[in-house]
Amino acid sequence: MATSSRRTAMWNVIQAIEPLDGNVVPVRTIQETRPPEGFEDAYVAEVNTRSASKVTKTLDIELPRDSARPLNHLRRFCKYEMLPDHVKSAVDEFRKKQTIATLPTLFCILGPPLPDAEYMRALLDPYTPVPRARSRSLSPTASHHSKEPPASETSRPEKWPELFLFKIRVPIYPPSNAEVAELWSKTMWPVTFNPAAAPSTVVPPPQVLSRAQKSIEPRAGYYLALAREIAKESKQIGRGRGVGAVIVDPDIESRIDNNAWEEGYNSRERWMQAVIAVAGDCRFARSEGRGPYRDYHLPPDAPATAYYGYKVDKEGGPDLHALMRAIELVARVRRGDPDHQVSMSNRYCMPVVFSDPQLAERLSPLEEYFLYEAGNHAIPGDSTSSISSTPTSSLSPRKRKLDEPNPEVTSSLDAQVGTEQPSSTPLPAPPPSTATALPDSTSSQLLPADGVESSLASLRIRTRAQGGYLCTDLDVYLSHEPCICCSMGILLSRFRAVIFPRAGRMESGGLASEPIVRPSPVQKETNTDTQTAPDDQASDGAENPERPYYGLHWRKELNWRALGFEFVEDETDDNLSNEGTFHA
Amino acid sequence: MAEIMDPADMVEDQRHMYFMKQALAMGESALLCGETPVGCVLVYKDKIVGSGMNDTNRSMNGTRHAEFLAIAEFLQIHQKTELQETDLYVTVEPCIMCASALRQYKIRKVYFGCANDRFGGTGGVLTIHSDPSIDPGYPVQGGIFREDAIMLLRRFYIQENGKAPNPRPKKNRELNTTFDNGDGFVFTA
Repeated sequence: MATSSRRTAMWNVIQAIEPLDGNVVPVRTIQETRPPEGFEDAYVAEVNTRSASKVTKTLDIELPRDSARPLNHLRRFCKYEMLPDHVKSAVDEFRKKQTIATLPTLFCILGPPLPDAEYMRALLDPYTPVPRARSRSLSPTASHHSKEPPASETSRPEKWPELFLFKIRVPIYPPSNAEVAELWSKTMWPVTFNPAAAPSTVVPPPQVLSRAQKSIEPRAGYYLALAREIAKESKQIGRGRGVGAVIVDPDIESRIDNNAWEEGYNSRERWMQAVIAVAGDCRFARSEGRGPYRDYHLPPDAPATAYYGYKVDKEGGPDLHALMRAIELVARVRRGDPDHQVSMSNRYCMPVVFSDPQLAERLSPLEEYFLYEAGNHAIPGDSTSSISSTPTSSLSPRKRKLDEPNPEVTSSLDAQVGTEQPSSTPLPAPPPSTATALPDSTSSQLLPADGVESSLASLRIRTRAQGGYLCTDLDVYLSHEPCICCSMGILLSRFRAVIFPRAGRMESGGLASEPIVRPSPVQKETNTDTQTAPDDQASDGAENPERPYYGLHWRKELNWRALGFEFVEDETDDNLSNEGTFHA
Repeated sequence: MAEIMDPADMVEDQRHMYFMKQALAMGESALLCGETPVGCVLVYKDKIVGSGMNDTNRSMNGTRHAEFLAIAEFLQIHQKTELQETDLYVTVEPCIMCASALRQYKIRKVYFGCANDRFGGTGGVLTIHSDPSIDPGYPVQGGIFREDAIMLLRRFYIQENGKAPNPRPKKNRELNTTFDNGDGFVFTA
């Protein structure tokens, strides 16, 4: 009965969640925000247009391009009109000295690396510009020369124009976007920008990114609001800082979407069904080094200042961060532990710790609800519902006991729920037996009687035996930008995507790749009043401009990558975090 | 090169070698358990106060690296603040995740065997131990029994991965026992 009332309380908390309003935007990769810039020397030579294909062949043989550095972004030939200004003026200077007008020419790039000039002169000698038969010089000084020997392509004239060979500096890496391409084309040498050409190590393939973004957008506001609710719970219980993590299975989301069409419900309202695990920060819940682990909480009346600032010696480490605990909760189901305590050690093989360092046995009410009870919601179109009768259910009473939240934890949260409710719109409390059952639930998927927990978690988190592996293909929504340690933990766990609110950016974070660049509507509106435009970067909320930007989610050096998204709320104050500096 | 070594340095070297051997022994255990063979020990006042090995396959938790297990063992008995006088000996350079965790836990110094060119967080890929951060940095020293650490990894990666959807036959592969001058190991995981 205690269970059902707690379940009802949790259900009410979840029903009361209002989604954040805003947009999901990809976190650019560090390769995009800090593109490698390297420049090397090359020559520009002027050749006869009709010889272009021969020149190409000759250069392919004599100056083969390094396949590891194809330099495909550099145009090989361009017309005079396309040349950057400084090259144009060099050409103009050169032509002034020439006395012969030529047939149409092209400009060709040689290198990088910079080849030997004399070698190039010899190599290109057969393809140099060909004088016109009837000379019509380009430069005024040459206009008087009308007595050139008649030239044709077959007969070599007496006076062969000198080869125009000019040293320029060119970018050796492809441009990261069209603007850069345009700039380089104007100032260095014509380059092309091909968004599809970037290897997937540099940026996520565009179609992969947009597909994920489309699947994340509709419900991200709900998941992030839930993450904040988990954060609030952790803080209210006194277990940790206000940081929360929500793990979502995109596969369940798409099943919900598919079924919504057939059954005519609003799939957005079923957002909670795709949440497979949640976890809150627990850094105050383990007495650090005071003998075997035992619960230690900040007192309920701890002043707000207890949370402010970073007191490293009084906080647990990253293993107690919300993300790390959420990962362990998923792992715990994957292992299909019949008995958690035994599973932590396989002593004759493993000379290692066999306790529960991440407090995965002591779940908060919301953590327990989503890991074990939310599974009782019917999953639309689930073909694997037969799994619910797997033999593991016989072991559940034991698990149940272990999962029983700490009584003081429950009471403090219940008290909180009780006090909060009058202020919010009172929701009709559903009868306990159907509290978590959604309207489309078939009777076989309804909640079993209290205390008889079937292992429904396995419906949603596949065990090792069912092919589940780490956090493969899952998404994680966080209330804050994760610390470097947790950011790398996301990659090592093989998540598909990580999403956090921009307002939760942290100085110690590992995912952001650049300072927040805000469109400045204020600037536009006030432009008429004053000429001095406000500095975007300086007015950038509480973000420390000196913070490092790792963009760990998608770095070419690393073996694993995850898609990264920020949620930009429509209305948000500029206080990125009101708890000061710490690791989230 | 016949320099005479300071006896104090020799003692110090012996110390590092002794503890690294213990870390390598943990790596051997990992290999026996089918885990990526990385092992470590935490040393406080000349005593091993925590040890760990990679445990990701058994635990189904990709974050259970040797360093995390060693710290968990350490914290069962010791104060967290005592990590500030504790050194880590680990067979492979800590990954970015562990490099950050060690910094947040304020480790005193990290000694490692071979570098980690794929995930290394103390010089291999990133320099988390010395980057600007809200925690003080820590010094690192690599190369202690580097070849032994690499051999452990090679012995692991030459095995066939029965769990892979299409296991690559590796019967014809021979264990490479030569070393070049670089000091890294390229993980193929």
